[in-house]
Amino acid sequence: MTNMTLWLRWSWRDLRARWLQVVAISIIIALGSAMFAGLGGVEDWRIRANDLNYARLNMYDLRMALSDGSYLDQDELAAALADIPGVARSEARLVTPTLVDASDGGEALVVRGEIVGVDVSDGGPHVSSLYVREGDGRTLVEGDSGQPVAVVEYHFAAYYDLEPGDPIRISGDVALDYVGTGFSPEYFMIIPETGMFFGESSFAVIFVPLETAQQLAGREGLVNDVAFILDEDADSASVQAAIEARMEGAFPSTGYAINAREDTQVYTTLYKDAESDQWMFNALATLFLFGAAMGAFNLAGRMVEAQRREIGIGMALGVPRRWLAFRPLLVGLQIAVLGTALGLLAGLGVGKLFQGMLEDMMPLPYWEFSFQFGGFLRAAVFGILLPVVATLIPVWRAVRVAPVDAITTGYLVAKGGGLARFVQRLPLPGKSFVHMPVKNVLRSPWRSGLTVLAIAIAVLIMTTVVGALDTFLATMQQAEDATLNRAADRFLVNLDFFYAANYSGVTGIESLAGADGEPLFTGFETAMIVGGWLIHGDEKIEIALELHDMDAALWTPTATEGALTADEPGLVISDKAARDLGVGVGDRITLEHPHREGLLSFRLVQTEVPVIGIHDNPLRAYTYMDMNGAALMGLEGQTNYLILNPAPGVEPDEVRLALLTQPGVTSSQAVTEFSDAVDELLEMMTEILAVAQGMVVVMAFLIAFNTTSISVDERVREIATMFAFGLRIRTVMRMQMLENLVIGTLGTIVGVALGWIVLNDLFVTVGENEIPDIGFAVTISAETVLLAALLGVVVVALTPLLSVRRMRNMDIPSTLRVME
Amino acid sequence: MIRLEHVAKRYKMGEVVVTALDDVSLEVDKGEFLVVLGPSGSGKTTLLNIIGALDEPTSGEVHINGGTVSLNSTGDRFRFRRETVSFIFQTFNLFPSLTALENVQFVLDMANTSDSAERARDVLASVGLGERVNHFPHELSGGEQQRVAIARALATGNPILLADEPTGELDFKTGIQILDLLAHQAGDGKTVLVVTHNREISRIADRVVELSSGHIISDGPPRTGKAAIADLQW
Ligand SMILES: Nc1ncnc2c1ncn2[C@@H]1O[C@H](COP(=O)(O)OP(=O)(O)O)[C@@H](O)[C@H]1O
Ligand SMILES: [Mg+2]
Repeated sequence: MTNMTLWLRWSWRDLRARWLQVVAISIIIALGSAMFAGLGGVEDWRIRANDLNYARLNMYDLRMALSDGSYLDQDELAAALADIPGVARSEARLVTPTLVDASDGGEALVVRGEIVGVDVSDGGPHVSSLYVREGDGRTLVEGDSGQPVAVVEYHFAAYYDLEPGDPIRISGDVALDYVGTGFSPEYFMIIPETGMFFGESSFAVIFVPLETAQQLAGREGLVNDVAFILDEDADSASVQAAIEARMEGAFPSTGYAINAREDTQVYTTLYKDAESDQWMFNALATLFLFGAAMGAFNLAGRMVEAQRREIGIGMALGVPRRWLAFRPLLVGLQIAVLGTALGLLAGLGVGKLFQGMLEDMMPLPYWEFSFQFGGFLRAAVFGILLPVVATLIPVWRAVRVAPVDAITTGYLVAKGGGLARFVQRLPLPGKSFVHMPVKNVLRSPWRSGLTVLAIAIAVLIMTTVVGALDTFLATMQQAEDATLNRAADRFLVNLDFFYAANYSGVTGIESLAGADGEPLFTGFETAMIVGGWLIHGDEKIEIALELHDMDAALWTPTATEGALTADEPGLVISDKAARDLGVGVGDRITLEHPHREGLLSFRLVQTEVPVIGIHDNPLRAYTYMDMNGAALMGLEGQTNYLILNPAPGVEPDEVRLALLTQPGVTSSQAVTEFSDAVDELLEMMTEILAVAQGMVVVMAFLIAFNTTSISVDERVREIATMFAFGLRIRTVMRMQMLENLVIGTLGTIVGVALGWIVLNDLFVTVGENEIPDIGFAVTISAETVLLAALLGVVVVALTPLLSVRRMRNMDIPSTLRVME
Repeated sequence: MIRLEHVAKRYKMGEVVVTALDDVSLEVDKGEFLVVLGPSGSGKTTLLNIIGALDEPTSGEVHINGGTVSLNSTGDRFRFRRETVSFIFQTFNLFPSLTALENVQFVLDMANTSDSAERARDVLASVGLGERVNHFPHELSGGEQQRVAIARALATGNPILLADEPTGELDFKTGIQILDLLAHQAGDGKTVLVVTHNREISRIADRVVELSSGHIISDGPPRTGKAAIADLQW
């Protein structure tokens, strides 16, 4: 390069001549690279935080939970599990379900929950420790043993703004002294059993000293849960085998399940979320950069076309091609560098902002944010490379033409043709003012196609983000419909144990009366719910199995296939479970379920049962069986799950408070709470939606603006000719808008279609791995399509209005001047 | 029909003032065929643009139809160009994405003419392009393109035709045919102004206005005598 400064100055002049487009493209690049840079470390931050918090709070490596309703003497259990090689430490706990009443004066606040009795001796618990932040009160201490003192789990407390000193009551109408709000590594997230979000709104964990828990539950000296921390070099599988051997020896009839921390849902969700969030941010950022590349491509194409004559002259003068390509490439590079530099700067701010959001949305005791060099590097590389590569294509095409073609006069007059010939035969309605914009689109199908694609990308981003929410909501709606199709006011009540259905404590609930002496309930059903697994081939799915007397039940599921009852006990499973297991109605599968061995001991056994029906709830875990299946579990005539229909006019809070005082009731839930959770979800998502939509509007607008100003540049001579013939500015404007309308409509259609494909792919492949518990009904709502149309069609179509001033001030004679 | 009084046009480029037209007074009657002759840079295009209300004079006045047409506002000027004058350009300036027929139809649609396609076909036939109506401009020769441009100007039905170097891009023979076509329009009652730098061409006119450095230096019949189109040579 003989004279670098000349070339730089030259390309700088090119930039200035099109500064508006340059700025528009730079902003899109900046948006994309800011996301890469600022959010490039999300996965790393979250994984580090997960590791750090699990380590500092001594999360267990293995946990043994006795089957529901099973308890063992704490000393006998300790003796049986003593000195297992590879175990560094173990602590027994007592975990019992309860109702938690945090009502404070005004509104009733009663939710399901559990009481976790932990070993507080010697500064414990040492396995799965409690962490109480400065200002959140105090943790449990040895002296609290046997006292009604409680630490409330952080998520629940934060959700309802509870503070130490606030009243807390649990089942049996027991008041606890709330001394602190704390974190436990087992509850870094509250994942609800039903629904998917805001577990903390309906589930409270109350930590108390072990001895206190035993007193509260009436299980003195008993425990039902052991947490283990292993030696660093211990083999988890062989430790597990050793525990199983000890249990078999000491308590052969007691069922239990051992889980590694890696198997728990909270753990996997925390790590998987980190990964899938990162994936989503990267995908979004990449789409932005693609949009920007598209813009750069358009601009570069336009510039080399304008320079083609100069390039041709250069060729005729024997200037090497790479020098000729250098000038437009330099412009591309300058745009890319400008955009990326802006993006990296903005990335610092985006990163800070997101760190704050992470701390709010993912409350953890410890967060450590490091500067993500990798993300910034990736942002810089992609931000610069993509637009430069996009510039390269038209430049390369331009310098390849024969010099004679490049310097031909009249070449500046763009050619007709393209696909225009095809529409020639079409009887287009209306005047030539209508034909011309359509033909302009078809005249250069290649460039129009790219513009369509760029707009499609903007629409795609929106459709994917909003469509994902549509899909979640549609699926939740489906779940809600499946639950609320009948007896929509009903309450679901869990009991702490299995009771005979005719036991007075149970029937006493049925005949509860309100303050006015009138019965609270008009309907009452004794049902059963147990945890279990469905097994077929290599597939194993965790389920919640409900047993109802299908003929007399207040509510039964709706079978979309098969039936609810059969001669022998059979399962009604979800469509998702059927698909995952690869089975249908009539197939036999293995049900792993608890079987009663003694009063306080259950064992997991496997039974072959037929699938007799498929129900319409998209939640995979929901599984139903007729009460005749109770015999399989040794639980004939028993109940641990009541369904109650409140009398007309009875308020849910009245029911909750009445049930709180009933011994044995661990949870009561109106089925309508599910829809409340969905509503709440919707509210939160609206904010995310607004951000996504805002970004897409900006991007669609920038792309449209860019395209329009390029096409005005290109057609300036045509437009001047129209003005010479007295065609009004507003007519020319309408034509430009019509052209954009065509482009915008095509872009929107392509974008929504691509969005549909991406969504399906997302929910089929990603959803399958990340959220296997739900059978998603991929949905793009009419509102979303409307919104996409608003952005892709209306915004794009209106953009030409911005060039009204430019047209009004056009110097027609100069524009028409023969360019030689 | 057209009357210019002391029209001047100056361009200020920083310190330098370029005078494109200086004190030009001129009267053109209805049905006249007038050629404006002058070397490059003498102000011919500027003059034509001022008459066509594409440009405004720096000083002086333009009266059309005895002052009945106002050219004061942008809207007036747009309407004047729509209803009174039609341009024919050296480089044709056809709309490349429209066929010959559609290029002509375009101005008919502009005036809300019914049967615009039929009318356009007729006008194209009258300039000898009846066979090529469905071709795109880039599929036509220069002469054919200029015929389309003339058809487009004629289709407006406007009484004044303004042609700026209409033969500039064409070879001799084709140029002659185009001039013939334009001369016929004057015969049909239109007022035709043709700009050229070619003295030979100016011989076909009844009247030649010669410009030099923005001044009219002569105005009258061709200096070397009027010639029939068939006798021209250049
Ligand atoms: N927009 C403009 N800015 C500055 N000078 C101009 C402009 N348009 C025309 N001129 C100058 O005015 C003079 C007359 O130009 P023009 O009417 O185009 O001449 P012609 O058509 O006879 O070649 C020339 O010297 C030209 O440089
Ligand atoms: Mg000229």
